[in-house]
Amino acid sequence: MSEDGNMVVKEAEKSEKRRFFNEDLEEDGNGASDETVDGVLQNDLDNQNSFLFAGASGSPEVEESVDEIKEIKDVIPNLTDSQANDLLQRAGTSSDKGERIAGAVGIYFESCASQPNVMESNQRDPSPQPGSAVKLTKASTLLSPTPAKRIRDYGARLFKKRKPTVRWRRFIGSMQVSALATRPTVKPLKYGSELKILKTSSDALGKLYYANGRKKASMANYVRLVDENLNREVGRVPEDVAMILFPLVDSDELDFEATMIYCNNRRLSVGDSFIVQLDCFLTSVMFENYSALTKHTTTLDKRSFSQNVVESDEELRLKSRRLALISLFDHVQLRTTSEHDSLDSSFGEPAEVIDLDNEGDSGSEITKSVDTHTIQPSQIQDDVLNVNQLKSLYKSTLSMESSKYLPETTPSVESFKLELRRYQKQGLTWMLQREREFDLVSDAASCEEVDGDMMNPLWKKFRWPKDLSWASQKQTRIDLHSQHDVECFYANLHTGEFSQAKPVIKSMLKGGILADEMGLGKTISTLAMILSVPHDRGYQERKTPEQPEKLDADISILGTQQVEHSKPYAFKTTLVVVPMSLLSQWQQEFEKSVSNPELHCEIYYGGNTSGLRTLLTKNKSPPIVLITTYGTVQHEWGRLMNKNTGYMESDTTGLFSVEFFRIVIDEGHTIRNRNTRTSKSLMDLESSRRWILTGTPIINRLDDLYSLIKFMRLEPWSQVGYWKTFVSDPFEKKNYKSAFDVVSSILEPVILRRTKLMRDVDGKRLVELPPKEVIIEKVSFNKSEDALYQYFLNRAENSVKEGLDRGDLLKKYSTILVHILRLRQVCCHSDLLGSLDENDEDLTENKMLTEPVKIDEKVSEAISPSSNVSKEELDAIISHLQTKFPDEEQLTKLECSICTSEPIEPVTQVVLTECGHAFCELCILEYIRFQCERKQEVKCPNCRKTVDSNKLLTIENNSNKLKIVHYNGGSKSSKITSLVKSLKRLQDVSSGEQVVVFSQFSSFLDIMQREISASFSSSIAQIYKFDGRLSMKERSKVLHDFATKDLSKLKILLLSLKAGGVGLNLTCASRAYMMDPWWSPSLEDQAIDRIHRIGQVNDVKVVRFIMEHSIEEKMLRIQDRKRTLGEAVDADEDERRKRRIEEIQMLFE
Amino acid sequence: MASLPKRIIKETERLVSDPVPGITAQPHEDNLRYFQVTIEGPQQSPYENGVFELELFLPDDYPMEAPKVRFLTKIYHPNIDRLGRICLDVLKTNWSPALQIRTVLLSVQALLASPNPNDPLANDVAEDWIRNEDEAIAKAREWTKLYAK
Repeated sequence: MSEDGNMVVKEAEKSEKRRFFNEDLEEDGNGASDETVDGVLQNDLDNQNSFLFAGASGSPEVEESVDEIKEIKDVIPNLTDSQANDLLQRAGTSSDKGERIAGAVGIYFESCASQPNVMESNQRDPSPQPGSAVKLTKASTLLSPTPAKRIRDYGARLFKKRKPTVRWRRFIGSMQVSALATRPTVKPLKYGSELKILKTSSDALGKLYYANGRKKASMANYVRLVDENLNREVGRVPEDVAMILFPLVDSDELDFEATMIYCNNRRLSVGDSFIVQLDCFLTSVMFENYSALTKHTTTLDKRSFSQNVVESDEELRLKSRRLALISLFDHVQLRTTSEHDSLDSSFGEPAEVIDLDNEGDSGSEITKSVDTHTIQPSQIQDDVLNVNQLKSLYKSTLSMESSKYLPETTPSVESFKLELRRYQKQGLTWMLQREREFDLVSDAASCEEVDGDMMNPLWKKFRWPKDLSWASQKQTRIDLHSQHDVECFYANLHTGEFSQAKPVIKSMLKGGILADEMGLGKTISTLAMILSVPHDRGYQERKTPEQPEKLDADISILGTQQVEHSKPYAFKTTLVVVPMSLLSQWQQEFEKSVSNPELHCEIYYGGNTSGLRTLLTKNKSPPIVLITTYGTVQHEWGRLMNKNTGYMESDTTGLFSVEFFRIVIDEGHTIRNRNTRTSKSLMDLESSRRWILTGTPIINRLDDLYSLIKFMRLEPWSQVGYWKTFVSDPFEKKNYKSAFDVVSSILEPVILRRTKLMRDVDGKRLVELPPKEVIIEKVSFNKSEDALYQYFLNRAENSVKEGLDRGDLLKKYSTILVHILRLRQVCCHSDLLGSLDENDEDLTENKMLTEPVKIDEKVSEAISPSSNVSKEELDAIISHLQTKFPDEEQLTKLECSICTSEPIEPVTQVVLTECGHAFCELCILEYIRFQCERKQEVKCPNCRKTVDSNKLLTIENNSNKLKIVHYNGGSKSSKITSLVKSLKRLQDVSSGEQVVVFSQFSSFLDIMQREISASFSSSIAQIYKFDGRLSMKERSKVLHDFATKDLSKLKILLLSLKAGGVGLNLTCASRAYMMDPWWSPSLEDQAIDRIHRIGQVNDVKVVRFIMEHSIEEKMLRIQDRKRTLGEAVDADEDERRKRRIEEIQMLFE
Repeated sequence: MASLPKRIIKETERLVSDPVPGITAQPHEDNLRYFQVTIEGPQQSPYENGVFELELFLPDDYPMEAPKVRFLTKIYHPNIDRLGRICLDVLKTNWSPALQIRTVLLSVQALLASPNPNDPLANDVAEDWIRNEDEAIAKAREWTKLYAK
């Protein structure tokens, strides 16, 4: 259809349409445009009416004339009450009712008919202005009063459903648009003459977008400026403006007025540019449609995130509307007013005159960004945080200064035995507030503020700008908003929702994230809460038939989640989910803190799972705390999960058969990956309150938080779509501030994090820990170790070199890791070769790892120390010594002249020289080493006879049968020797010490256990081992026994990093030994924090054993590097590869 | 302060509880590896009736390494120089970790009883000793009277 033709049809329709609201007619004209602005367009007529009459709206006397309104509505059936009101108002003050009605109706039709021709503006020659792209006209100083005209597409919708009335409109800004003449004009357009904005096609959406949602055609083709007077097209607007106008112009939510301000006072030829001022207004409809739109968009969001299906027309329409709004706000420079002024202090009156170039630039930028919006479908990307981002996030979000000022709540003695620290009392206040248990909080006054007036972070606050529209400049007839003294409005540009009231998030969520740093006593705080509110006190009331509380005012705008008790409600039980190693610790802490003997806790693990439901819901006194492990939950879940349907079968006995009163998950970052079975299983547990305890809510991805939010069911963020749009996507687009802003506003109400370094109101540290000293003790290889190490080093170096030369280093990454692993094992103990590092899980796939370690014969010769002593020689020595010590008992009474121990204990520690003198193994070895180092002859300390270190003997204890045998010192690892030495020294100095020995190789723990027990008599040292192989019961026994102080014994806990690196509280020990370095320094720090935490009273001393000139030294360098570069690697995959290669190179420098 | 090996504690205790006749050794309050030592001059020696003050220090590597012993009192002896340093094999090459503080001090005492000018440390004294032993002994007595009160 030619544009002219279109115009004619429209004009012809106009008068009729308005009278009869003939739906058929619209189909001719802009018929298809309902696709575009559907529910919005239908209000067009209301808009028009109210535009005409709005000035009078709200006048009091009208409200009395209900009858008159009715009569008017009889005549004009589709009129709303308020419209009728307006008409009446305008009809004047005649005393005769009939006359008034007649007048009103007359006005109605008259105004409709005459509208297009009212344009009789005073005109004035515009001063010449350089034409260019888009320009702000806030500063336009146009003098002549021109009656502003309302420009409308009269061919638009008639109402179908709702008929909101435009009660007012308000100026939000204007722009200067450089338009392009599409028709020649006979004479110059008059300055200030009103132009109409017309959509030439309403079927445009189909033309504008491909099926995949990409834009294919220019919107500018479909938006025209029309001279009102001449009824003919004048020109078109640039694309960026068209993109605003096209989706919005037919809506009565917004109002646009275009005024001719410059055409160089010449007649226009096709292609000439002229400048138009475009005034933009928001109308009341925008704010009224709010709730209706909400529904739309919510469903839309849900759908569109379900992985980029082809966007429906409806979605396209909403999207183009949304983008248009964003673009519009940008063009008119309507900036957000920050809730907290600090965030955006730049807000003020927009600059009066904006430099043209700049404006052009920003304009094109906007178009660009809009384009990327349109084109880029949301895609899943790595969004790994780098360490600085993490820091700033923690800083801005999680360390809440305000937590200092929380009132303190002291739990009642009847329920909680222990004394809480000050910040723990504050934490309890916060937790109780989060649970809405306000009556238990000490300082009730502060309770109102719990969720504060948290503005929904998706919403932005805008200040209404001063009305600088053409119309208001020229005359004062339209002063529609004068009655509004509201300064601000709120808009959610993401969804296109508007509101005058502040959109407050009121979350119904009971629970939150207690993210206090490690060692601040999250467990204790949580127990204080559990014991303060052991069961759902509201439950009995809930059973009352009326159930009114469900509908209370707390319903959030974004919808709330209401948990119906579909499952039996274990309203007296809190489920605590913990890593296995913490099971008994939780139980112990519970026993320690509970003062009411009737309250008990139970461990739900392994064993008998049947009857849980009965226990919890039918029993009179169910356990108030049920402790279980992640593994148990996942196991039960896996059992219930129907593999075929992917749905859970209903459970009748286990954890999933009831709804708990409360769930607490400890070390909650366990579920940070929402795709793991563990995470999924936990998400499916039901409870009315949900808590997460974690010291590290984010490990390295922003999305780590999502899992936590999902677990808590924090609406709406728990919908993956919301999270993606407002957090992940902006983050991927490097829009960090926006992402972090959203994250911090999501988290602020639900998270409490304090760090050890924080100070309380009085400036005191939250926790004063005794000092900690970490020493690196360098150990040198003995001869055989050195040979072995060199052998493996050569192999590894060759492999790396090969990889570097060929450039496929990373392909061989895991092979190289195996090589590295071998080197690390040799550093610890040669017996480790062939065993697995439990932390290098990515290696398990590698075949090389399981292959037996083959060692060249040459090497094995070199590493076997006694090869130069013949058996006969040894036998001779042994028989000689046997004659010297004919009695076994003599062997148990030997004295070491070096350390003056008497007797040498255990007897296996005895090392005899050829000359028959006895020493402790360590003493004589140390002596030999010392002498060799000084290049001095090794002589027997007792008789000065030369000692051959290959001809040493020891005593074998074979079921209490003592026997002198050859001493094979080569099997001892230097590291263990150093450890034993250090332990001996410690034991010498003070018996009754407790020490923790960490290693990442659990087989190394076995070796250490063997060797340490051979070095210490059981009367002076006790060895405990804690690793993943222990059962739950054994674990708690080990920990309990280790913690029991025994002044006569040195207690040594051999701890596997993986099993014991987190959560355990080992403050009874003040010394730790790290047997092998870890790649990640933070893991080591975490392990050290097992002993350096609250409750530690002694100075903490940590010794890290590092083999000299070995890969371990280089690992230290990599640790340093990680500390400085940030442990969490950048999102950039290339960068990560580069770093890996660099690290491998560092290892083999 | 670095921790003290059990052996040192044991030795110290024994030195106090079961002292060697003519020898005292007291660990310093601030440093248990530093001992203030006195040795009485052996009878029938030029150092008879003298009480000599010494200092003894146990290095970190003790007992792998010998203790450091030095005379504080001025003494006229061919194996002890003006700074009080002692030339004694068990303090040097013949040290063995089986030796102890008490054995070292006994050796020092024995050295006073039998000076060995053929392995001198103080060369001038040793020369005097060899040239005119009586004169040297008289001088040693005189010094003892003068300084070792």
